[in-house]
Amino acid sequence: MPAWRSRHRGIYSRETARLTPTYEKPMKRIFLLLLAGLLLAPAGCKDFLDVNTNPNGPETVSANLYLPPMLHWLATAPPYDGRYIGRYTQQFMGPASSISLWDRMGYAAGSDAAAEQWRDVYWSFGQNLIDMMTKAQNEERWDILGVGQILKAWGWQVLTDMHGEIIIKEAFDQSRTTFDYDTQEYAYFEVDSLLHEAIANLQRNDGAVDASYLAVGDKIYNGDRGQWLKFAYGLLALNRSHFTNKSTYNADTVIMLVDQSFQSNADDALFPYPAVTSNDDKNFFGTSRDNITGYRQTEFILNLMNGTEFGGTVDPRMTRMLAPSPDGQYRGLDVNVANWSGLDSAQRPMNFFGYQGLPGAGQPSRYIFSDKSRFPIMTYAQLQFVKAEAQYLKGEKGAALATYENAIAAHIDFVNDRNSDDGQSPTPITEAEKDAFLSDPNIVPTDPNDLTLSHIMSQKYIAQWMWGFNELWMDMRRYHYTDTESGIEVFRGFALPTNLFVDNNGKPVERARPRYNSEYVWNQAGLAPIGGLETDYHTKPLWITEPGS
Amino acid sequence: MPLRRVIGFLALAFAALPALAFAQGTGNIRGRALDAGTGGPVTAVQINVDGTSLGAQTVDDGSYSIRNVPAGQHILVTRRVGYEPTRDTVTVQAGSTVTHDFSLRSVATNLNEVVVTALGQTAVQRSIGTAQQSVSGADIAAAQQPNFVNALQGRVAGVNVTNTSGVPGASSSIIIRGVSSISGSNQPLMVIDGLPMDNSTLGTGVLASDAPNSAVAFDNRGLDFTNRGADVNPDDIESITVLKGPEAAALYGIDAANGAIVITTKRGRAGGGLEYSNSFRIESPRGAPDIQHVYGPENDLGSQSFLYFGDKYPAGTQFYDNIDSFFETSLTQKHNISFSGATSDGKINYRLASGLTKQNGVVPTTDYDRVNLTGASQGQVTDWLNVDLSMMYSYADNDQPFKGAGGPLLGLLVWPSTDDASVYLNPSGTRRLITGLSAGSELDNPYFSVFKNQVNSKNNRLIANLALTFSPVSWANLRTILGTDGYTNQNLILRHPESRWGFGSNGIIDEADEITRNLNAQTLLNFNSYDITDKLSIQGLIGNAVTDERTTVNGLNGQDFMDPNFVSANNTRIKFNRTTLTRRRLVSLFGQAVFNYDNYLYLTLQGRNDWTSTIPRPRNSFFYPSVTSSFVFSDAFPSIGKHMTGKLRAAYAEVGRDAPPYAYRPSLINATTSYAGYRYDFWGPNLALKPEFAKSYEFGTELGFFDDRLGLDVTYYQKETDDQIVQNIRGSYGTGFVLFNMNGATTRNHGLEISLRGTPIRTQDFSWDILANFDRSRGKVISLPRDLPESYVSDTWLYGNVRDGQAPGMSTMALTGQFFQRNDKGQLLIDPTTGLPLRHSDFIDAGYDRQPNFTVGLSNTLRYKRFTFDFLLDMRKGGDIFNATEHYLTVRGLATSTLDRETPRVIDGVLKDGNENSASPTPNNISVIPAEDPNYYLNMSEEYFIEKDINWVRLRSATLSYILPQNWVRNASLYVTGTDLFIITNYTGLDPVVNGNTAAVGGAGAVGIDYGNFPIPRGIDFGIRLAF
Repeated sequence: MPAWRSRHRGIYSRETARLTPTYEKPMKRIFLLLLAGLLLAPAGCKDFLDVNTNPNGPETVSANLYLPPMLHWLATAPPYDGRYIGRYTQQFMGPASSISLWDRMGYAAGSDAAAEQWRDVYWSFGQNLIDMMTKAQNEERWDILGVGQILKAWGWQVLTDMHGEIIIKEAFDQSRTTFDYDTQEYAYFEVDSLLHEAIANLQRNDGAVDASYLAVGDKIYNGDRGQWLKFAYGLLALNRSHFTNKSTYNADTVIMLVDQSFQSNADDALFPYPAVTSNDDKNFFGTSRDNITGYRQTEFILNLMNGTEFGGTVDPRMTRMLAPSPDGQYRGLDVNVANWSGLDSAQRPMNFFGYQGLPGAGQPSRYIFSDKSRFPIMTYAQLQFVKAEAQYLKGEKGAALATYENAIAAHIDFVNDRNSDDGQSPTPITEAEKDAFLSDPNIVPTDPNDLTLSHIMSQKYIAQWMWGFNELWMDMRRYHYTDTESGIEVFRGFALPTNLFVDNNGKPVERARPRYNSEYVWNQAGLAPIGGLETDYHTKPLWITEPGS
Repeated sequence: MPLRRVIGFLALAFAALPALAFAQGTGNIRGRALDAGTGGPVTAVQINVDGTSLGAQTVDDGSYSIRNVPAGQHILVTRRVGYEPTRDTVTVQAGSTVTHDFSLRSVATNLNEVVVTALGQTAVQRSIGTAQQSVSGADIAAAQQPNFVNALQGRVAGVNVTNTSGVPGASSSIIIRGVSSISGSNQPLMVIDGLPMDNSTLGTGVLASDAPNSAVAFDNRGLDFTNRGADVNPDDIESITVLKGPEAAALYGIDAANGAIVITTKRGRAGGGLEYSNSFRIESPRGAPDIQHVYGPENDLGSQSFLYFGDKYPAGTQFYDNIDSFFETSLTQKHNISFSGATSDGKINYRLASGLTKQNGVVPTTDYDRVNLTGASQGQVTDWLNVDLSMMYSYADNDQPFKGAGGPLLGLLVWPSTDDASVYLNPSGTRRLITGLSAGSELDNPYFSVFKNQVNSKNNRLIANLALTFSPVSWANLRTILGTDGYTNQNLILRHPESRWGFGSNGIIDEADEITRNLNAQTLLNFNSYDITDKLSIQGLIGNAVTDERTTVNGLNGQDFMDPNFVSANNTRIKFNRTTLTRRRLVSLFGQAVFNYDNYLYLTLQGRNDWTSTIPRPRNSFFYPSVTSSFVFSDAFPSIGKHMTGKLRAAYAEVGRDAPPYAYRPSLINATTSYAGYRYDFWGPNLALKPEFAKSYEFGTELGFFDDRLGLDVTYYQKETDDQIVQNIRGSYGTGFVLFNMNGATTRNHGLEISLRGTPIRTQDFSWDILANFDRSRGKVISLPRDLPESYVSDTWLYGNVRDGQAPGMSTMALTGQFFQRNDKGQLLIDPTTGLPLRHSDFIDAGYDRQPNFTVGLSNTLRYKRFTFDFLLDMRKGGDIFNATEHYLTVRGLATSTLDRETPRVIDGVLKDGNENSASPTPNNISVIPAEDPNYYLNMSEEYFIEKDINWVRLRSATLSYILPQNWVRNASLYVTGTDLFIITNYTGLDPVVNGNTAAVGGAGAVGIDYGNFPIPRGIDFGIRLAF
């Protein structure tokens, strides 16, 4: 201010002569005051500028409020990607005038298809999971921390099973521009240690462990940490069961883990979609979402159930899981034949909802394909098959047979339960049907020595059909799609597509490429060292399915 | 709170009033101001007694009077926009009245013209060191565009206006000197009566429908809303000055980094009286794409969505002219009435005006109605206080159709010609379907689309600016402007339960009420010119500005209609809301010093410091300078000045820019998935965000010849924007996020602007004036943040796999796409199994650039006695346009180019057989017959439809007017105006002026992407102007 006055004094004094004194004096003072205000104004603006905290959403919330979207995606991401990897495993196909590259074990370059779990693990979970676990840790909420560790483990497990090498050590560093991939072995190790931590935390009773607090965000087990503990054991059992090609496979550990996990169908991890809004909170395979309307069951799944592969015994689940054609017959499409396998319109299988087109609102659907169908994440039946396989590989055929029969029985009950979730059209499988099926030697051999891997794995395929996409694909890759045991195909009747996608170079698909818009566009530096830029990267076998230690 | 402090001081100033006004030993001055050319009176001349606050304005007959002037010798200074300023000496004796008349020289455009500059200041053209150009309000109004922004196209070199479409109320974007920001807004600041005015276009991102993860989002593709600048009634505009670069707009700071449009509204003048004008306008459509009528749909329309690859229509098939009968000839009427006047001493003036626009579109149901009420008054309250208040109220009601993929044009084009499209309902009143597809898959019948869906927007707006000018001392004055700009914009978007877009959800209604309230305060302390020596003088100002912007959008989405035809969210079973509150505050301090050496050499120094709320502290405070200079060499060297007038200009400026609100710290959003909860949005944190800076320079010259009958203005500019904040930039999901806002892009723009004006003929009865504006602007991306390979604006990825994408070395208006694979020699690679070209799976550059090579706006005004003929031609050379509509028609077998489908052809290219990059690649020899292989069309690359180097000559407007002989009215004229009467272009689509998005989208947006867009119609206006 003084500097300003001295600089302008010359002007000021020169003008004074023209102005009347009464005019000049008060005005000068006011003028200088105004000027002071003008110059000082910005100094007072510190609080004035504090309007950049986003008023439209909080920066942090209580730990249990992070959970609902993550649990939603825990159930929803697998069917999302299942639309693609379900075709690698011939659970269904898309009938069209030409055979889709997915039905030919190919991939769509320049597309994010078959990489939803990638998005969910890094973004839908991502920083949300980190924040939730940090809060839980600080607030000694060991139950929610344990659930967080399960989610983290589940993420790495499904991601490495789907893509092989993934980003773990460098993940969630926002200052990085490229990310190195970690080996699958490391991913398996990471899952293992996370689940051990989860198991320890879920057994804790101290601190702020509170079922009602957890239940706010947990609609799978309503805050019951005991159930989550079983889930952790089950996930660990799946992890260990994948090592069948490795010298480190330990059937006893697998059996022990399964025994500590789900005890009955009541423990099944099912996601109850509320279906109260227009779209996002409905079963991904439900009719409203219209995501699978154009798909049809394959000949492969049909032959597993209509007696073709099991000595003529028709599976009572067939009419409750699969869809008939308009003429009432059950058929499946040949993945090698375009245009509906040459069937005429009355012979073409209807869609999974049981209609030729999209049913209108409120019309009943079938099996797990209804808006409110409780969608499975892991089931008792599935784990029993894991146990049966372990017992079988260990050579305990009698025990394996009993577990195998129990697994099928559990799945029959599961089918009945699912068909009553949302008023679906199929009738329940009666006890008589169930008993007849289970006592049929084509399905359950009377002599334990007649039990084969193909019984266990093909029936496991049925039990996981259209929901257990990650595990089912892992099963098929562990047995290299067409492995045989004593001349019997492990997956009875399965054949690779005759016209494999051009980039496959004659090899079956072994992994999905990492998400295009995440990695192929922005992280090629990370992809190059693992061969991810090769056009046949998707045929590179996984570490876990290759022999070794 | 600086605002409160300023107001406090102002209150103090008022309290001190009574002590101030005295005068002794005074006399009076009176006289008239007359036009030196015609001898007629000149009104509204501001006359000041130099060195005092005394002054007056001339009234209708050109007279003025100034009382109580202290005795002695005084200099009287006159200023009037459009006239040369004068300085005359008079001697006043105490107690007597001296008469002094002025002879004012009218100037079209020359160095002595008084022009408006930044902050509402005026200056003499000769002192200005930057390129700026003005358009008179009369020219704007005569263009007959309800949205005045459209009237600027072609009238200012370097200004490029793009209409989103030809629908009433369509948004228009203005780009000055090219696209420099690759993701943010490139629109200039709009200023009205000294303060910023909101010209935003509502983005669909605030609709509840567009909540993250929504399956029914519009993404700024399916809808358009008016740019809010259109709320201004063109009839209220006195003049528009375009400040083209940061150099000219430096005093406006960060929001004017892309230039500024400075609007001055009309004020009352003595003798203004009552004025009335009207306009009746008839519009007709420009036409529609040709479609073939030879091949019918496949089988029946049973299972396919309007694919015309079937057999030929049998002879004698009845065809309906669905396309022509769909469009209407529409009528628009406008009425403007104003009352204005001023006291005889010019100390108080007023203007009250009202305007009514009722515009109907050529697309049924579309309209744009606007009511404007305007009042402005100015008063010299005391010798030292001048008060100016302007208030503008507007109400706009706009109905638009959906656009693009969801709009009626595509449905109109693909509708079978063998069916009467106007029968769009079943007898029972439900939607009539004609394929076996579900209502959610069959494209909407165009009539159904416009009659059953709704896109309505109602806007109420009030802009009020109060300016107080204190002149307590002779050497300075203090000017404070306080302004509010507030509007409530109610939007209703209905996707009918039976329409394709609403069927899946059994009807979708969106309501969005946008409430915007912007407050601006600006205080300027002006120091009058002070002579340092007898040749060197200095003048300057310091000022401060405070901006407080606040917008709340309350969005509501309802789905699942109970009664399919009752339009209300109350009628839906599923509802959810979404509130979006956005705030931004800005405080600025700035100053300017102008050195004037002998009226021919000027140097202007400016500096500004901004404090913004949107950048983390302490980087939210940033300073930037500018320096401009002007050298009138024709005055410096009188030997040159004998033959011509001439001036050289040079300017350098830096300008900072902040980020959008909430850009650097992520927040959680409530999830729409099961059981709600919270999750992070797409954006990751960036606490290191800092302002971006543009460094810009320009130099130019203004030359006048033949007594200024020929003038030339040439400007070259270059601007480099560093550390550019790129919004929504992607990265590996390994970061835990999908998008980031980060610094790091660099773009460089340069260009050449030439304005040539001439008066080839000027006689008593006949005159001819020409103004030509040439513009060539180039924008280039130099680098991207983190060396990312591509940045793109996702909303522009609206058709196929082509989008507004940028990478280093590419134009800022490029298109990237999954273009053809080519070998090293640039030959197409052909799939050896199909004989069809192969495409990249990545988005690549194939040299497409939507920037024109140059544009020319050519306006001519011919006057013969009472007749005036005026026309504006808008010409463009080069620049690519993506004709997505034609691609859409081609893959459906409707384009006339598919008529030769039975002709075998071999696509020119080489087989991708491993030899494609060898010395002798295998030429493609595989013959394909499209009729037998539908993939020929179905998989056809969009690249075939990016039309390169599009030129046009467009008659923007042509007006013939006739001034009636004076009678009982003071002034009366009749006119007829044609707009967009013809366009000569090599573009095969309907109209190359298109935007696949709206003006709300940043970067280059989808300008030049033509997908289902209605062209600008032809229109003829006629009307009368009366003054009483």
